[in-house]
Amino acid sequence: MADWQQYLQSIIFGLIFSFFLAKLFSIIFAFRDENLRITRADSSEAEEKSSPEEADIIGVSEDTEPLIQRNDGGLKGSSVSGGEDSDDDWEGVESTELDEAFSAATAFVAATAADRSHKVSNEVQLQLYGLYKIATEGPCTAPQPSALKMTARAKWQAWQKLGAMPPEEAMEKYLDIVTELFPSWLDGSANKKKGEESSGAHNADTRGPMGPVFSTFISEEDSENELKLDEIHAFAREGDDENLLKCIESGVPVDVKDSEGRAPLHWAVDRGHLNITKLLLSRNADVNAKDLEGQTALHYAAVCERPDIAEFLVKHGADVEIKDNEGDCPRDVCELHWPWLQQATVHN
Amino acid sequence: MCALDHLCQSLSETLDLGHHTLLQTIRKRIISPKSGNDVSIDSLARKVQESLSLSKRHKFWETQPVGQFKDLGNASLPEGPIEPPTPLTEVKQEPYNLPSPYEWTTCDLDSEDMCSEVYLLLTNNYVEDDENMFRFNYSKEFLRWALHPPGYYKSWHIGVRVKTSKKLVAFITGVPAKIRARDTIVVMAEINFLCVHKKLRSKRLAPVMIKEVTRRVHLENIWQAAYTAGVVLPTPVSTCQYWHRSLNPKKLIDVGFSRLGARMTMSRTIKLYKLPDQTVTPGFRKMEPHDVPAVTRLLRDYLKQFVVAPDFDENDVEHWLLSKEGVVDSYLVESPESHEITDFCSFYTLPSSILGNQNYSTLKAAYSYYNVSTKTPWIQLMNDALIVAKKKDFDVFNALDVMHNETFLKELKFGPGDGQLHYYLYNYRIKHVLRPSELGLVLL
Repeated sequence: MADWQQYLQSIIFGLIFSFFLAKLFSIIFAFRDENLRITRADSSEAEEKSSPEEADIIGVSEDTEPLIQRNDGGLKGSSVSGGEDSDDDWEGVESTELDEAFSAATAFVAATAADRSHKVSNEVQLQLYGLYKIATEGPCTAPQPSALKMTARAKWQAWQKLGAMPPEEAMEKYLDIVTELFPSWLDGSANKKKGEESSGAHNADTRGPMGPVFSTFISEEDSENELKLDEIHAFAREGDDENLLKCIESGVPVDVKDSEGRAPLHWAVDRGHLNITKLLLSRNADVNAKDLEGQTALHYAAVCERPDIAEFLVKHGADVEIKDNEGDCPRDVCELHWPWLQQATVHN
Repeated sequence: MCALDHLCQSLSETLDLGHHTLLQTIRKRIISPKSGNDVSIDSLARKVQESLSLSKRHKFWETQPVGQFKDLGNASLPEGPIEPPTPLTEVKQEPYNLPSPYEWTTCDLDSEDMCSEVYLLLTNNYVEDDENMFRFNYSKEFLRWALHPPGYYKSWHIGVRVKTSKKLVAFITGVPAKIRARDTIVVMAEINFLCVHKKLRSKRLAPVMIKEVTRRVHLENIWQAAYTAGVVLPTPVSTCQYWHRSLNPKKLIDVGFSRLGARMTMSRTIKLYKLPDQTVTPGFRKMEPHDVPAVTRLLRDYLKQFVVAPDFDENDVEHWLLSKEGVVDSYLVESPESHEITDFCSFYTLPSSILGNQNYSTLKAAYSYYNVSTKTPWIQLMNDALIVAKKKDFDVFNALDVMHNETFLKELKFGPGDGQLHYYLYNYRIKHVLRPSELGLVLL
């Protein structure tokens, strides 16, 4: 009886313990997700969400120039004066690690300010503001704002009381505070970079102020194409062997056609998935199935120049002499000269 | 729809907004066939609102003699120079001050070492696409060609070095060109290849470089300039769009230049873009040195119809249009009966580095240059250009919607690109924003 009770006790404790562990993990992950969300947010969106007041007090959106440019002041000040510390090729040219960390931190704070779920006390916000101003503009020389302007005055005081603190020290203190508040802030910064660069505000950086433009295709939605295909075709197209297998096992015919007469094998070959091709053939897919244009998977492999798949298909019984509706056999639609498409002619 | 685009453009420009994003969003919508009609006034208004909050001042350009946004549509301002030339003695004689770690240098592209330095700077730091997947990789031969036209000035090829290491970290160039704006021929500088090392982007070197090249242009008694940019500055003469014609669709899809829709097969895409092996126009052949006079006549005659276009003489045609291996290719149609030169097409070679792809490192792109059709239909002429480009192993053929290009783009399966190119004139006012089809100028 006592044994039984002890067991129960340990089970209960175990459950409680694992509950807390799970809770802990979920908090950690939630926080990371939150970060990702912030950092991916488009900057315009970010600006919209944050009240000007709130963002402003942290010293990030007083004017709307992109942040990278705002960081100039800080970078310039220290990198110009910091010429003596190394004889590296980039002496006096490259921004120091501190500069970079500081600008990453200001960018992080800007993104975070946009998200109201992170509550940062006014006091800390003012502290950050003061340090930011010192780091980017140096000691406060602005006249004291009138006592009626409460926030402006508080900000001015936060800046002014730091006196002639050197910019480097201000940057370090700023970083300390950010790191204390958001210990994981650096984790998100890799993603942030990407997100920022693709947002409109930073086009100027990659596109340059002048000169030509690198243009790529606008990704168009599938227009006018009224193709109807089943899940199994999509799985074959995406190379998703797991779901494809599930489909087959749940009884979907392995050679089911889409509205253009293509079997999953056509899609797998079209996208170059050798593993799916193998999988389908191992499930007795018809290697010579034709689409509405009379083309087999081997035609697809030939047109799309997928030699490994073509060779595999031929080895598994694909007919190299089979003609499509235009009278072309796979060899005729192939720009390259593949022995495994030719050999059969010799045999015949 | 075009009018809407136009409205939006002038609206955003007059308000001095973050127009680039705005324009792009709207243009994308207009182009997209499905959602083309849903540009409601509401969403337009919302976009304008958003942009207002992102409003950006052009502190530098507002101080320059360029068309200002506030003057748009002000018909009382005359066409022509915005400022009169100043006496040469009043032009600043010393270079502008650079931040102290840097110094000016003049880049002699004839020197192999110098040319390699410039090439490397550009290859590693020049223009990229929005997603940083590609970066222009102008070849050395191309740079020499682009920077050494008849009458070029060495002093206009300007570099910036780090004093201590002598490393080249920034570059900007000008070349002289006669450009006609309506009836006036103006000698201008074509400004190009402004490039600042990636690690120095935050140092605001670009404005001082632009000022320095301007100063050196002024020293030659030249007071106007032409340039392009992907961003909206005060104030575009015209806004053009890039179009792309896949020649090697599989590679373009593999490297992310184009995307394969979920409902489209690679197989069908490849068939769609297939081109014949041989050109079809009788008398279609490469341009030869002895064709220069005939091509010059043909081109001059053709370019007359555009509001802004280069004023090419035979020397210019010889330099800019005579084929140079790996730089520029020109073809023409010589009538088999009369031996008259009736049509002309040309494209230049501008490869790009493909960043971070395991299978491919270079994207080979042909850019439509100057084309003239008088007898051969546009579509046939340019299809032959596509055929020769394909045979020369280009992956894609790009064209702006300038001149008559719109007459063949869609028909020849060009697709719209995400890149807009804005054309600008420095110290020269054109009263109205030009339609791309009124523009006869291609800058490299």
